[in-house]
Amino acid sequence: MRLLNISKKSMAIALSAQLVLATQAVTVAQAEMLGTDAAISKYTALNNRSVLMDELQREDVQAEMIAMGVDPAEAEARLAALSDAEISTILTQMENDSAGADILGTLFTIFVILLVTDLLCLTRFFNFTRCVR
Amino acid sequence: MRALTRLLCRFGCLLALCWLAACAQPFVPEERLSFDAPTRATVTAVPLIQQEDFFCGPTSIAMVMQWAGADITQQEVAALAFNPGAGGTYLADMIGSSRRLGQLAVEISDFDQLIAEVTAGHPVIVFQNLGLGIAPVWHYGVVTGYDFERDEVYLNSGQLDQMIMAFAVFERTWRRGDFWGLVVLPPDQLPASAPEADVLAAGAALERVEQFQAAETLYEAGAARWPENWLWQFGLGNARYARGDLRGARQALRRARTLGPDIPEVRANLAFVEAELAG
Repeated sequence: MRLLNISKKSMAIALSAQLVLATQAVTVAQAEMLGTDAAISKYTALNNRSVLMDELQREDVQAEMIAMGVDPAEAEARLAALSDAEISTILTQMENDSAGADILGTLFTIFVILLVTDLLCLTRFFNFTRCVR
Repeated sequence: MRALTRLLCRFGCLLALCWLAACAQPFVPEERLSFDAPTRATVTAVPLIQQEDFFCGPTSIAMVMQWAGADITQQEVAALAFNPGAGGTYLADMIGSSRRLGQLAVEISDFDQLIAEVTAGHPVIVFQNLGLGIAPVWHYGVVTGYDFERDEVYLNSGQLDQMIMAFAVFERTWRRGDFWGLVVLPPDQLPASAPEADVLAAGAALERVEQFQAAETLYEAGAARWPENWLWQFGLGNARYARGDLRGARQALRRARTLGPDIPEVRANLAFVEAELAG
């Protein structure tokens, strides 16, 4: 029982030390300006993802997917499961395959549909796609 | 005997050139490019500099920077880029030295981008293997123009004469360099073909090497071209802060907040700057 007490106490000390350290870390982070670099890598990936997600919400895209027997909700879930790095790899490939031009309109729609069908193992268009069967 | 050797040598060179051009497919812009490029384009007034031994990399940067109006020599670039042990200049040092010299440096990787930049009036540094895969002769040159009709690519290639290559030969040498290209521009001019994220990253890289003035100029140019993205104003605020311009920083960060009201980083930096202004 005494042993237990000691371990409880040491646990408490360890935890409070950790808390103090953590608080300090936050204070340190606030003691300087947050860098542009970190913000870019965080938010450009986020933008990429939201661009793809927005595309999935479009009515014609959803209609197309349903016509192909794809459940839009499942498509969204698959897309959400991709990491930021994977999303940017895919977007890079889209850009390369559209040969550098801004991906616009129909072409982009086709890419997004292909991406979804890739993820559902119906097609194999992108170099990088996980298809789990 | 010597005459024979020379003849052989010439013949050899000729043979090599023929071989290079042999399996050549003509460059058909309609098939190879995703946009309608003009038949020919030239970037005028890129100086021809005779490179010193092994200085093709620094010379390429010097040519492009002199074209943009900078007063710089290949030796000055070499001090930041050249690797004496390797007897050459690494790709990363080409990018890094350009940035340390306050330039916007963005990589490109295909014909589409190359042609788009040249038609926009920007010279492009390319990495080539002028030899063979098994016996590489690595080289940097500056593409200053092309002519589809005459099937020619024009390069300032470290010699006092302009180098002219058929598209097929150029493609082979560039392909062996993995189609690596670099656009180096003064920070108030944006590349024509680079995605926004790459240009943003180039701005952040300028901050990293403490070229804050250049970073500020680039962020201003980017904000003008992509006005909805708060990241440009955020970067602008950070670069101005780094230069000690607190009011300018606050102004930019406020604009960033208007564009991206929910971004914690913007709020944090704005609060930080405001606290410093108040205190």
